[in-house]
Amino acid sequence: MPEMIACFKWVIDEAYIRRGPEGELDLSSVNYKISEYDRNAIEEAVRLREAHGGSVIPVTVAAPEAAKGVKDALSRGGDRAFFIADEAFHDLEPSQTAAVLAEVIRSRIPHDLILCGEGSGDLYAQQVGPRLAEHLEIPCISFVQKLSIEQGRLIAERKVEEGLEVVAAPLPALVTVLPDINVPRIPGVKDTLAAAKKPFVTVKRDELSGKYEAHLATLLVRATQMERQCERFGTQPEDVARFLESLRKKGAIGQKGG
Amino acid sequence: MDFKLSEEQELIRSNMREFAAKHVDPIAAEIDENSRHPAEVFQKLAEGNWLGIPIPQEYGGAGADRLTHVIAVEELSRSCASTGFTLSAHVDLACTPILLFGNDQQKAKFLTPMAKGENLGAFALTEPGAGTDVMAATTTAALDGNDYVINGSKTFTSNGPVAGTYVAFAWTDKEAGRKGMSAFIVPRDTPGLRVGEHFKKMGLRASQTSEMIFKDCRIPKENLLGQPGQGVQIAMTTFDHGRMGIAAQSIGILQAALDEAVQYSKERIQFGTPIARHQAIAWMIADMATDLAAARFLAYYAAWLKDQKQPFSKEAAMAKLFASEAAMKHTTKAVQIHGGYGYIKGAKVERLMRDAKITEIYEGTSEAQRMVISGNVLR
Ligand SMILES: Cc1cc2nc3c(=O)[nH]c(=O)nc-3n(C[C@H](O)[C@H](O)[C@H](O)COP(=O)(O)OP(=O)(O)OC[C@H]3O[C@@H](n4cnc5c(N)ncnc54)[C@H](O)[C@@H]3O)c2cc1C
Repeated sequence: MPEMIACFKWVIDEAYIRRGPEGELDLSSVNYKISEYDRNAIEEAVRLREAHGGSVIPVTVAAPEAAKGVKDALSRGGDRAFFIADEAFHDLEPSQTAAVLAEVIRSRIPHDLILCGEGSGDLYAQQVGPRLAEHLEIPCISFVQKLSIEQGRLIAERKVEEGLEVVAAPLPALVTVLPDINVPRIPGVKDTLAAAKKPFVTVKRDELSGKYEAHLATLLVRATQMERQCERFGTQPEDVARFLESLRKKGAIGQKGG
Repeated sequence: MDFKLSEEQELIRSNMREFAAKHVDPIAAEIDENSRHPAEVFQKLAEGNWLGIPIPQEYGGAGADRLTHVIAVEELSRSCASTGFTLSAHVDLACTPILLFGNDQQKAKFLTPMAKGENLGAFALTEPGAGTDVMAATTTAALDGNDYVINGSKTFTSNGPVAGTYVAFAWTDKEAGRKGMSAFIVPRDTPGLRVGEHFKKMGLRASQTSEMIFKDCRIPKENLLGQPGQGVQIAMTTFDHGRMGIAAQSIGILQAALDEAVQYSKERIQFGTPIARHQAIAWMIADMATDLAAARFLAYYAAWLKDQKQPFSKEAAMAKLFASEAAMKHTTKAVQIHGGYGYIKGAKVERLMRDAKITEIYEGTSEAQRMVISGNVLR
């Protein structure tokens, strides 16, 4: 019976981000949520448990405020959770997140399968899954839109540039999932209430041995501004020429011969 | 003092928001237009234990508190006031009196399937000649051996056409005045009970409202709810809970009106600028947001009092009065902000304005609330 880890990130719900007067991001009234594709990862683990038994262990590396996210993950079907929490874990880089996850998972969480979302709702760097697999020296299957366990092996359908690829891998393995893989169920009221009573382990920064230094520096975050403009063109050849000229003027396409 | 919801309440709110956005928003205009009860949505609500939030788990409910239920009604009503009210009527007007006044057998037999969402409940008090004046009712229940025989007719019964279980009121001893009315649990398939066609309404059109005709309708004595003569007390206690539901419904409507008004006023350009930049519009939105916050605090406070096992009757009436009048006032403004487009079918604000009106009428009109509140204050 497979022991399954579902990694998730507690991210800002982008619907609440506003643009400040200087183009900065106004985060003063944001809510947080489990990153969308990570919901698919949790759901897939729960489905596999329904088919094969075993258990589902949601794991996150986050600032302490993400405690609500741990409850959320448990309400979505996790049996018990690991909450790797520290003030220092605000805005970790993917490489740091993967390394921290690797240390905790290697030392404390026996596993047959690790599921991650393909990318997170905020950065979408698509790095944590593959890096984590590399740290743990297990196979990584990315872009998965269909997954099953057959005779102790993973069978995964990957969505690749041109078509589908079906691959098999021995367990333990890591899979990163696409949103098409399932439709996460919305937790019922009892699920949420029960989640508050499920066990979870909190792991603090000083219990870890790695250094986990940052390599990137964020210099500036600015909101983009979309401007809509409307011009009408006819279908005559001269209209088409005028249309192209207009696009060039706006810099939407390159200059003639350039 | 603590203004923070629990993590569970916050999560349940966002889950209901997601549920409503996914399952209710897409059909809200259609069920309004066709006066249709969305049975398929109630099936899904039942699966998520949304139809028995404040009912203990031993009776088939989710076992959460009243405030959580209020939040769920609010979020559901934000997408569709009819759907939010159908849920509120089921829980607040039908499940709640059985929970509070029913005996163990009644809770096992009637409340448990209702709280699981296997059938909906309804509350039949109002009669053609007895609205605000409950005592003017004429429906009677006469004891005959081991049965009560009910005769008379009720009107405006919400969920009437779709319910499986009714809490109905009738005189067992007209001479005894306030102590002479009793409450009964009447299953839908009882011979002698006829449920009328649902009324076509101005708003709240997807909520099903009908007459109920009792003609020699025989129910076993065990279906008496509470004691003989306890009916008026049961009705009034039920209203205390229902009013929090109507406040929640009104807040949902008001939040939806604000959402629509904010979005439209930022997009609509007149005189070269979004209309939100015209002070007249901006101030309407300021008032709307302020009344919404006040209404929400009143309603959550009433529910919190209930959860703390403190008296909440006056606060529930205040919340209902304030929230419903704010909903009516500001949905009118939201239509105003939309100009002519707000008057056309298909604009959400048009439906919100029609749906808001009922909140000032049922479960005690605004005038009746003022009687309750002034009675409390002047005591
Ligand atoms: C859509 C809908 C759903 C409903 N659902 C239910 C339900 O599920 N169960 C149920 O039992 N009932 C239900 N009702 C009935 C509702 O509660 C009554 O309509 C309401 O109580 C008012 O009664 P009435 O319509 O007879 O108005 P009336 O009592 O005749 O009132 C008419 C007007 O006179 C005012 N008035 C009356 N008495 C006084 C007074 N003493 N002082 C000052 N003003 C007064 C009222 O405020 C109102 O403005 C529903 C009604 C509607 C329209």
